Amino acid sequence: MKRYHIVNLQELHEKKVRDILDDKQMWNLPMVEKDADIETVLSILTSRDHVWVVEKRGGKKLCGIITESDILRLISPTRLPKYVFGKKYSISLQYGTARRASDIMHKQLITCSPDETIGNVLMRMVNARVRRCPVVENDEIMGEITVHYILQILLGKR
Amino acid sequence: MLLEIGVALLLAKILGFAFEKLKQPAVIGEILTGIVVGPFIAGKLFGMKYLSPVTEGLGEMGIILLLFISGLEIGVDEIKTAGKKGLLTSLFDVSIAFLFGVIAGHILGYDIRTSIAIGNIMVATSVGITVRTLMEMHALHSKVGELILTVAVLDDVLGIVVLSITLGQGEPAMLIFKIFIFFLIFMAAVLIIRRMRGIKIGIPRLMLTAAIAFAFIFSAVAVDLGLAAVTGAFFAGLIFSNLPQRRRIDDFMRQMGEVFLIPLFFIWVGASFDFNALGDMGKLVLLFIPMALMGKIIGCSAGAKVCGFRARDALAVGVGMMPRMEVALVVVTIEMSMKIFNDALAHQVLASTILLVIVSSLITPPLLKIVYRGESSEKQGS
Repeated sequence: MKRYHIVNLQELHEKKVRDILDDKQMWNLPMVEKDADIETVLSILTSRDHVWVVEKRGGKKLCGIITESDILRLISPTRLPKYVFGKKYSISLQYGTARRASDIMHKQLITCSPDETIGNVLMRMVNARVRRCPVVENDEIMGEITVHYILQILLGKR
Repeated sequence: MLLEIGVALLLAKILGFAFEKLKQPAVIGEILTGIVVGPFIAGKLFGMKYLSPVTEGLGEMGIILLLFISGLEIGVDEIKTAGKKGLLTSLFDVSIAFLFGVIAGHILGYDIRTSIAIGNIMVATSVGITVRTLMEMHALHSKVGELILTVAVLDDVLGIVVLSITLGQGEPAMLIFKIFIFFLIFMAAVLIIRRMRGIKIGIPRLMLTAAIAFAFIFSAVAVDLGLAAVTGAFFAGLIFSNLPQRRRIDDFMRQMGEVFLIPLFFIWVGASFDFNALGDMGKLVLLFIPMALMGKIIGCSAGAKVCGFRARDALAVGVGMMPRMEVALVVVTIEMSMKIFNDALAHQVLASTILLVIVSSLITPPLLKIVYRGESSEKQGS
């Protein structure tokens, strides 16, 4: 069995986010514009576990995220909570109220900047219970820190 | 008292679930629990003493949490994107519903302060039951469904504003000044929190603690300014709705609220139900419930019609906005604590509001199914 070289964790924590981002990752980022229809979003999520929502097609201005767990809620039978406020619980695939990416995305994001240390970002991800964190500079997405990506670096695959 | 709280929470869960199975709001089960554990049933049969300053205090915390969650889930974004139609319909709705309440009070011979207090109870809609019905009818995505959802959002906000203005303490000029000060504090908090978004503080769960703390601090500030505590809690929720941690705060608050503090509020409402009030409330209830229902039907229908909806669809919007629930009960509780009603009237108004909650929940689904015609809604170009 092939053994991977595990980099020093302390060293990784002290590295800047910018140091581990590569162009390949940016090309491969799952992105969709906020006006994209729900079918487009769902088809991207058949092969990815999340998709970043940007303002315009081809642009990088980040405005939200849609994750697998959002879709799980959309495809499962709709169940309203005891106390209903706002429109949040009315967004449903079954009842036709989820039509565009902007209907289902989370607008408030936990982000990081390219100049932060990996250790800080990982700590924030643990505290906020998120598994992916966009790298943002001037409101534009530059890349993402995900558990998969960090594992690839940790095992020397990148 | 510990035993009473434990038993009440368990019973509320079971009755709430049973009512949900019957396609009725769980809140009615919780209120019923209060009636069962209150002085007239468990009190007489087993000597249970549910009503105490402690359960009242826990109920008040439940109110704060409920309104904080309401502000957090509605959020600034939904208010901003409500649009002209939503705003116009909501203004018609709130003003006419409020006016109908005031007129009902006037007809019954109450003074102006009491009549205004009755008007306040009639303002806020609870849209949960309508959303369930629209889902069953596959009409949630229709123009009627969309307008109901939007108006319900604005309804809560305007309801809080109306409550603050009409029940605020002090001279009118002073009150306007105090509301202005509160608004300035709110805007300052929004700006400070927006600025702080970029600052990373490494204290675990700081945001959760800050959210609860702010809910109480803002409520206290509102009370100090002569406004209702719920106004502060609602606006604190709005402030936190702009944060990246919104979802986590919401999950946490919902868990704590739904499992513990909010049911205790509704149980307390039920336990405060006075069977002796039933005998004298005939005239009140005969006017209170029809006026509450008609106020919404006329107000919302007029608003929707002005916005270009066909008469039948406009009527469907009005019918869909009839249910009252959480906020109406919160308002009546606040007004009771402010001693706006005398003792006997307080129990009558509370009982009438509970009956309004039950009646409006029961009649809205069948009425909406009769009134709403999907085809006309889909054809309409508005």
